[in-house]
Amino acid sequence: MIHINPVEQEKIKISATSSPEGGTVFFSGDIDMADPSPLLDPLFEQVHSQALDGGASAVTLDFTQLAFLNSSGIKAIAKWIMRLAAVPDARKYKIKIIHNPEVTWQLTSLPTLTYLVPGSVEIIS
Amino acid sequence: MEPNASSKEYIELKFSPHWNYISAARSFLQNFLAISTGDQTRADRIAMSASELLENAVKYSVNSETYMYVGVDHESRSVSITVTNESTPESIQALKAIFDKVTKGDPLEAYVSQMKEAATRSDGKSQLGLVRIRYEAGAELSMRIEQDTRVSITVEMK
Repeated sequence: MIHINPVEQEKIKISATSSPEGGTVFFSGDIDMADPSPLLDPLFEQVHSQALDGGASAVTLDFTQLAFLNSSGIKAIAKWIMRLAAVPDARKYKIKIIHNPEVTWQLTSLPTLTYLVPGSVEIIS
Repeated sequence: MEPNASSKEYIELKFSPHWNYISAARSFLQNFLAISTGDQTRADRIAMSASELLENAVKYSVNSETYMYVGVDHESRSVSITVTNESTPESIQALKAIFDKVTKGDPLEAYVSQMKEAATRSDGKSQLGLVRIRYEAGAELSMRIEQDTRVSITVEMK
């Protein structure tokens, strides 16, 4: 259900696989460009639309290979999560984030995302 | 600098404000602090903080160098980072307004509130760097403005 054109830039690779519940988007490298929104906003918008159209129950973000995410990248994720606030409960899907407990910023940054739309984001190992 | 020669150690970096130098400075600092403090988690948090400060400095710097000072006090177990750059009075006042806003109240509430606000922005700015440092690094922040065009932000972690 989730299909994106794989991204391969100098410091970041993004790909996705589909699954019965929705799909998983994999990130590896660093998101530390001055403004990642031209890359991330359309990507998350596409994933969001596909999840709603396909009746997904969950979309998973796999950050285990993501070494760094700057605050502009956090903004892009927050923007996507906040879109879920406007979705009727019957159509809402969950965003699951697989984190790497050995990467310090993931332990401090990712849990804060669960406060944006309570019940919509889950951090998993 | 000789390791363990003194209870206080420091490092200074000056560089022209190019975006690509930020990740190099972050990696260097991460390695330096891991050796200096012997605490990888702490080194990671400080390096993240430095990276966010440098992003602000490079984004809004006007024709000048970006300066970073990192001090480690082994006796008090504190680490401080100061990043200084020159910018326009307008950019500095905008930064001061964000600083005043995000350094008040509960750090987590301020962070979540700022994330919600950032989600509504479409101008490419996140305005999350300082509030991220305050919450994620558990740090105290201070700001100094000189002659309207020179700004220093100091982050102190104990």
